[in-house]
Amino acid sequence: MSAAGVTHTKHRISWRKFLSRTLGHVIVFSVGLFFLIPTLWMSFTAFKSRTDVFRFPPTLLPYDVKEVTINGERYPLYRVPIDGQMREFARLKVEEGNGTYVNPQSPDEVVEMRARLTEPVIAIKFHWNNFSDAMNRSTRPGLTVNFWTYLKNSTIVAALTIFGTLVSCVPVAYGFSHIEWPGRDAVFVLVLSTMMLPFQVTMIPLYLFFTSTLGWGDTFLPLVVPSLFASPFEIFLLRQFFLTIPKDLIDAARVDGASDLRILLQLIVPLSKPILTAITIFTFLWAWNDFLGPLLYLNNPEHFTLAIGLQDFQGQRNTAWNQLMAASVVFTAPIILAFFFAQRTFIEGIKLTGTKG
Amino acid sequence: MEARRMVTPVPRAARRRRWSPQVRRSFIKGILFISPWILGFLFFNLYPMTKSFAMSFAEWHLRIPSEWIGLANYANLLHDRRFWTSLYNTVYMVLFAVPLTVFSAFVFAVLLNLKLRGRSVYRVIYYLPSIVPVVASSMLWMWIFNTNNGILNVFLGYLGIKGPSWLTDPAWSKPALILMGLWGIGNTVIIYLSGIQDVPVSLLEAAEIDGATWLQRLWHITVPMVSSITLFNLIIGVIDMFQYFTQAYIFAAVQAGTTAQQLGSPLDSTLFYSVYLYNRFQTLKLGYAAAMAWILFVIILICSLLLLRASKRWTYYESEGT
Amino acid sequence: MKEDFQMSKRHWRSVVALVVLVSLFAACKGGTGGAGAEPELLRVWITWGDNPAQLQELFNRYAEANNVKVEINSPVEDDKVITALSGTEPPDVLVLGGPDNVASWVNEGLVAPLDELAAEYNIDLNDMYPAMLAQGRYQGKLYALPWGSDTYGLYWNKDLFEQAGLDTEKPPETMEELLDYADQLTKVDENGQITQLGFVPDFSWGHMEQYIKLYGSFWFNDDGTKVQLDTPEMAAALRWEQQFYSRYGADEVLRFVSSTGEYDSAQHGFMAGKIAMMVDGEWMVGDNFINGLAPDLWYGVGPIPYPAGHPERKDTNVVGGTVALIPSGVENKDAAAKLLAWMMTPEIVADEMVVNFNLPSSKKASEDQRFYQNEKFGVFIDLASSPNATFQVFTPVSSDLLDELELIEQQVLHQGADPGPLLQAAQAKLQPMVDEVVGK
Repeated sequence: MSAAGVTHTKHRISWRKFLSRTLGHVIVFSVGLFFLIPTLWMSFTAFKSRTDVFRFPPTLLPYDVKEVTINGERYPLYRVPIDGQMREFARLKVEEGNGTYVNPQSPDEVVEMRARLTEPVIAIKFHWNNFSDAMNRSTRPGLTVNFWTYLKNSTIVAALTIFGTLVSCVPVAYGFSHIEWPGRDAVFVLVLSTMMLPFQVTMIPLYLFFTSTLGWGDTFLPLVVPSLFASPFEIFLLRQFFLTIPKDLIDAARVDGASDLRILLQLIVPLSKPILTAITIFTFLWAWNDFLGPLLYLNNPEHFTLAIGLQDFQGQRNTAWNQLMAASVVFTAPIILAFFFAQRTFIEGIKLTGTKG
Repeated sequence: MEARRMVTPVPRAARRRRWSPQVRRSFIKGILFISPWILGFLFFNLYPMTKSFAMSFAEWHLRIPSEWIGLANYANLLHDRRFWTSLYNTVYMVLFAVPLTVFSAFVFAVLLNLKLRGRSVYRVIYYLPSIVPVVASSMLWMWIFNTNNGILNVFLGYLGIKGPSWLTDPAWSKPALILMGLWGIGNTVIIYLSGIQDVPVSLLEAAEIDGATWLQRLWHITVPMVSSITLFNLIIGVIDMFQYFTQAYIFAAVQAGTTAQQLGSPLDSTLFYSVYLYNRFQTLKLGYAAAMAWILFVIILICSLLLLRASKRWTYYESEGT
Repeated sequence: MKEDFQMSKRHWRSVVALVVLVSLFAACKGGTGGAGAEPELLRVWITWGDNPAQLQELFNRYAEANNVKVEINSPVEDDKVITALSGTEPPDVLVLGGPDNVASWVNEGLVAPLDELAAEYNIDLNDMYPAMLAQGRYQGKLYALPWGSDTYGLYWNKDLFEQAGLDTEKPPETMEELLDYADQLTKVDENGQITQLGFVPDFSWGHMEQYIKLYGSFWFNDDGTKVQLDTPEMAAALRWEQQFYSRYGADEVLRFVSSTGEYDSAQHGFMAGKIAMMVDGEWMVGDNFINGLAPDLWYGVGPIPYPAGHPERKDTNVVGGTVALIPSGVENKDAAAKLLAWMMTPEIVADEMVVNFNLPSSKKASEDQRFYQNEKFGVFIDLASSPNATFQVFTPVSSDLLDELELIEQQVLHQGADPGPLLQAAQAKLQPMVDEVVGK
């Protein structure tokens, strides 16, 4: 089909390269807009005032009614129709649909008219205080609880979950990859099938087991301890990676008399840095975002994680959207950073094609 | 994973006899290594599973004695119109959303693998939405889907298309949710991306020298090389989509004060299996909910096995035949 | 050299990792402790939580006066409530947004009866509005006490009334007039697109219980043993609602309504002046809504119009709202009841409901002048004290019935379906469910 590089001059090749590269940028960028716009909107909403959050037609930047100072007091500025002309007047008050407006330049010039005939003058304004308000919202008087409590708890739970997952999944995945034992593949299918279990199947019995039988209610234990017992998704990813490590290498070590534990710790683990990074990030994400677990088991606000802390912003019928977005930005920032810096190792770690490394 | 059968084949007749000491030792070693999972399985899966399986044959009460009612829960399900509606809606999602998601994830991964300047920034942008909390993203999308004022319909308007009423038209509510789901497919894209990077460069270069265009190389080399990832993503996609819950539930909850907060609104078009199951749980029909959960488990199991079966024809493992 | 360096680096790393882990586990354990010699802990869960900090502060007053610790958890999701009620450590007092589930929980043995405890701890039931108190009774026993309450009225936009040439101080009196007013307040442009709507019956937080009571019936009979969905009143109420859609084309109305903003935003259809009249609750006048989001809105509130032939039903309104109960699994019911009694004192009811812009359940509390600072809020207090204020009967199948009815409402209003057959089918499905529960 293509007459690839037979008679092309050097110049033409680079021109084609330039074209295809530009096209690449255009496509990747426009598709990226689909991902970027809502995310950007989330970030900018974090700076908006309560009345500005849902402005029609939508604006990305935060706007607010402009204010002027008259005799030391601040008043909002409105466009007011006077003698067929729109003029910018400060609004003193509104009562029963009637507004009183004053010329900010000459405070003696006062007009009254139906407020619906006027429109606010808006200007860009960033409400940085949404962030501090969002943090303060978690504060519970009389209890030592604030936003940093949630952050600390989330970090503890995530760190312990990562630790538990790594400690338990690595040997299990080894047992499913480099040790040959009868029935192994059948058991492995069983492992995978537990992924298919809807959480509602096990929710109530598990809750009763943790709280009534073990008395672990209102602690991190029901969230952390299960990670010490290996979970299927991580086992699967690890096993796939371990399988890419040449068997000859392990056999050689065995011939040298190394025990399986030693092979695992001194040969396989050092070779598996990418997948361990990937598992760490996946587990971190999972623990960081887990809503149902903390929701069911944690009662005391002093033990809350960030994921349920986000509920502080949702009332029965109304939500403080600007503060929720501010908190969401804080909530996601560490993950973005982690992803940005770890992406190379992270992406290398996932091996599902069965390619030998 | 089928291709990686490494177990020493043990003939059926031999298995009944005693294992040789060597086999026995490796068996014990294997069990030892996977023992964390075995314990976890017993406590966190098998016990609660058995319990809820038993309770699916009962009127399950929490503080008063439960009553055994045999197959009544299962029989009642057959006559429950909303059960069938929820199954239909869920199957719709599995049939349309899963292939679309997997296909899009592949395309996005290919785009992110282009050798462009600023690639790592693009990757962050594509990945970012998958970590936005569902509450926040639900609100964003509610705003995007607004019939006359949302940016989606405003954009469609520029193209001369009168956008539908996404959230109140039963024909469009599921496509709306699918679109919202596409936005957060970062993890699937990453898994694909890792696979694409594993495609041997030597193969691609050889094809280029033979005169294959970029598209031809993509179709004849990359696609088959990542077929095992496609299988993985399809299975995980089917498992997740059958349990589709959080997004639908929170999306409805966020739309406070509108008719959309009602169960399965508009007109039961977003009444998914897990949403209805949760509704049965909320109204304390626990035995009924357990029966539903078990039926779902069986459906998912069957679908995954069928996929695995069918996949043997089109998945490729490099180690095949070795 | 290099080797040594790497070794020591590795050792150093593992030591740091170990220290971090040990301290983390210590933190984890630290989180588990709590009890000990500290004052007794009482836990209150509130399923709504507009302001958790304010609620904690309110209950701290009780904690200080009684040398106990009160821990507030709010808002709490349904999953958590249900699993906790079934476990060994339910909250001492549970506050719900509405009594919808109480009957079903009573049936499951999850709720403690309150008659004796209320007498023992001198909870003044006579001070509570009868309609609010009634919703916490089931089969003759008291299970839940009203804390705050909601009721609904008609909101009308005076600016739009003035523009349409209507008297701004005269809202529609009857349901038929409402239809006529809505017609005058609806604007359609030359392309047939709606630009303003007079009234949308289901553009509201809740509404069907109001309309059916105004039509003189309800979906359960008084003792909750009969489902009354296939009644002419039920069908008439739905047909009345349907007209507001069928006149302008249901699709067009839906498009227009779904183009308005969110419930809690200044772009909300009523607040933005897109929908001229609505039926909604008293909280709408408060700081979280009109007062905070559209403070300049020129509007009025009054009773929902009644059917023309029935002036005796004027001021009919259905109250319902926040109730508090004690789970049956609570060990120290006396401590819980003492706290509940404190919550029900007029001062506390007033303090909490003023902040939340909800109606107080106590008559004495409603005399608090703070409620009348916003005169529109006063309209709702008067409505709730009217002799025509009434309540809903709840049964263990309430939420099933409502799920069914909401679907029917959508089919009738948005798709133009005939309510008759749909209601009959629902009746046939739900009556056996009630029979089964009552039969026990």
